[in-house]
Amino acid sequence: MSHNWFHIAKAEFYVTTASMRNHRKLATVTLYALGVIWALYVAPLLVTGVLTVLIPLLELRIITLAILPGLMRSMMMFVWLMLFLFPLARGLEEIKIGHWEIFLSRNVKTSDMLSGSFLGWLPLNGFVTLILAPIVISPFMMILEVSLLGQVLVYLVVTVTVIAVLWLSSFTTAALQSKLGNSSRGNDIAKALAMVMGLGAVLPMYLIMYAAPLASAVLGSDIFMLMPFTWTGDAVSWLVLTFNGVGLTSEQIAAFSGTMPLSLFATVALVAGFALLTVGGTLRAADRAFTISAGARSERTTTVGRDNLILRGIRRIAAGSFGALVVVNMKDYFRKAQNLSKMAYGVILAVVLPLMMSQFSDFGEVFSWERIIMMMSFVFVMIGAMPFTGVGFLESKSQLWIIQGAPKGPRRYVKARLLMAAITGMVLTTLPVIVIAMVTRLQGFDIVMLWGFGCIMTVGSSMVGIGATARNPDYEDTKSPAHQANVMMAVMIPVFTLIGSTVLLLVMSSLGTFQVVVNLFGPGAVGVIAALTGPLAVLAIGSMFVVSGVRNLSSPD
Amino acid sequence: MARNGNVIRTRALCKNFGTVQAVRNLDLEVSSGSRFGLLGPNGSGKTTTVRMLAGLMRQTSGTAEVCGFDVNTHRDDVKAVTGLLPESPGVYSKLSAHEFLELLGSLNDMSGAVLQKRIESLLSILGLESRQDDLLESYSSGMKQKVLIASTILHEPKLVFLDEPTSRLDPAASVLVKDLILALAEETETSFFICTHMTSFAEDVCDVIGILNDGQLVSVGAPAEIIEHVGAHDLESAYLKIVGGEVDRKTLLAWR
Repeated sequence: MSHNWFHIAKAEFYVTTASMRNHRKLATVTLYALGVIWALYVAPLLVTGVLTVLIPLLELRIITLAILPGLMRSMMMFVWLMLFLFPLARGLEEIKIGHWEIFLSRNVKTSDMLSGSFLGWLPLNGFVTLILAPIVISPFMMILEVSLLGQVLVYLVVTVTVIAVLWLSSFTTAALQSKLGNSSRGNDIAKALAMVMGLGAVLPMYLIMYAAPLASAVLGSDIFMLMPFTWTGDAVSWLVLTFNGVGLTSEQIAAFSGTMPLSLFATVALVAGFALLTVGGTLRAADRAFTISAGARSERTTTVGRDNLILRGIRRIAAGSFGALVVVNMKDYFRKAQNLSKMAYGVILAVVLPLMMSQFSDFGEVFSWERIIMMMSFVFVMIGAMPFTGVGFLESKSQLWIIQGAPKGPRRYVKARLLMAAITGMVLTTLPVIVIAMVTRLQGFDIVMLWGFGCIMTVGSSMVGIGATARNPDYEDTKSPAHQANVMMAVMIPVFTLIGSTVLLLVMSSLGTFQVVVNLFGPGAVGVIAALTGPLAVLAIGSMFVVSGVRNLSSPD
Repeated sequence: MARNGNVIRTRALCKNFGTVQAVRNLDLEVSSGSRFGLLGPNGSGKTTTVRMLAGLMRQTSGTAEVCGFDVNTHRDDVKAVTGLLPESPGVYSKLSAHEFLELLGSLNDMSGAVLQKRIESLLSILGLESRQDDLLESYSSGMKQKVLIASTILHEPKLVFLDEPTSRLDPAASVLVKDLILALAEETETSFFICTHMTSFAEDVCDVIGILNDGQLVSVGAPAEIIEHVGAHDLESAYLKIVGGEVDRKTLLAWR
């Protein structure tokens, strides 16, 4: 059979453009035209405008030249991880062994399957790159006034890297899918891995945002010459230096070889070699990736033991059917790798944020719990919202039928879920509170208050997440619009509630409302009210979401 | 309990999905203790009927009473006295069979020794006792179906809705389910409302058959009556005569 790769690519392209299937060609061409305008004109103009407003150009130029190689390597590491991990994470959310069976039973070459799926997704991935790459690259072009030829060469190097990384990502996705298999267990592990991979892309972003000089210094060391993103970073750095328009002399440019030991030609050759090796190597190894195996890990049978101490304790405290419901809910939730992964995601972000902020903020002064709860509210929203939104609620519509089949089933089910979320949230809140207390040197009563109101915020956010999911169940489909909407709501509603309550407090303050409080309880009471308003508002909104969710879940179709 | 000895009574029951009429003017009476089989082709409205009767779906028009309770106004009462086996298995993959049944029992406000004893007995009857502590993700679809059947009768409902109960079961398991239904019906007066494609299963288990075609009830009666009425030799051929669907060999190969 000939051109099988083309048929597969066409099918994959149809999948990626399903939402605009009536005007597929027109929409694609229009989007790409807009993307090119954005990349060549709008993005550089915007980035230049914002940067020069913040820092004078001359100052910006000096800073950039001082940290150029390390900064460019950080940027390329971020781009590399984004390009590698996001398609991989997306691919793992939908195991495609069924498609493979159809292709392989028709004697389609595995190399055709690999190239077909890569090319099918290339328009979408290419478009995303077209939008994002100028934001990363154009500041350097503008600051060092790189010539047109230089810009073309830079984008050429970046394009080659993008293709190579996306290709590698396609291959790795197929290999992982093959190992995990299309089973309930395999899907669970795949979704957990997808979440962890998302974290892998977010953490470097945090690093660049909050600690760019530190990242630049670390990535500037020679050991990173072994990493492919360094080759791209150095090739781009050499190109922007060589084709600069700010009058750097050849001696000044040559001085950069101290931090970039390989020449422009050597780095470009390494980038090209890496791309060729990746494409050639993966095509040759495609047979290994597309092997339908039983999947040892997915075929393993897990036998459960007796309840642990915590579950027995819960059964004792909440005796009867409700206690049993809570315990069984906890078992179901904590056995899913994807749920553990989501909890880890929330807690890691919650711990990393204060740590990163401590790198550039002055936490030397003494803080009170009231101030910290206002500063770190978002941390607790992440812990509460992330693990209990979207997936891990109902696996299928049939499950909903079963729960609805019991009298007041949905209400009892959601109540059990809520209690479980509250217990879990309180435990998870402890870790970031400890980190915040260490960073800000909080003590005694202040730590207890921070933990208490952190828990209220966490539980309130969980309630928003559970309520939103009950209103619009997504049945474990992380690619569905329902899932995306639920996650957005679970994070954004508490955040906007916090912003709204702050605005309300400011308005009330400007109207002199707090004068009565000051007269009665002293000025300290205003701070306490300000700190409590946000968490309590989130809790109130969360309760409304839960009530609405239960009502929706209980009502017949 | 049942009014006038009927566990199900519907009058002009209709369900529309947009312009599609899934169920049309369904008038049905199912007597207490009976085993009613609802036969019909794919998309004829069987599952929709069950969902309306179980209180999971609102009808567009008409009325329905289940065990004497109106399905619209006394939904929780209907649920308390009925059990439902959905069409597709909705088990929790990360729970064991025992834990899943405990979840379902708890939802029906059962707990303690009574619940544990029932779970163990049912799993034993269904031949799952040796694997009762394995996670359901490792079960075959037939085994999951058995667990779901156990969950349906766990709280001793007066009326059990079974939507395609044997579609994933091997012949031995199908016989087991058949015997379980017959034993429960005869010994405990449990009523069954069974949707199925399996005419032989319906013929063996059900004392009354209803045939639904294109949302309308086109035939009701004992299997023998239906067979005799259309002049067929068994229920399968009677069914095909009523709903159509027999295609001659020439037509079958016409696509070549």
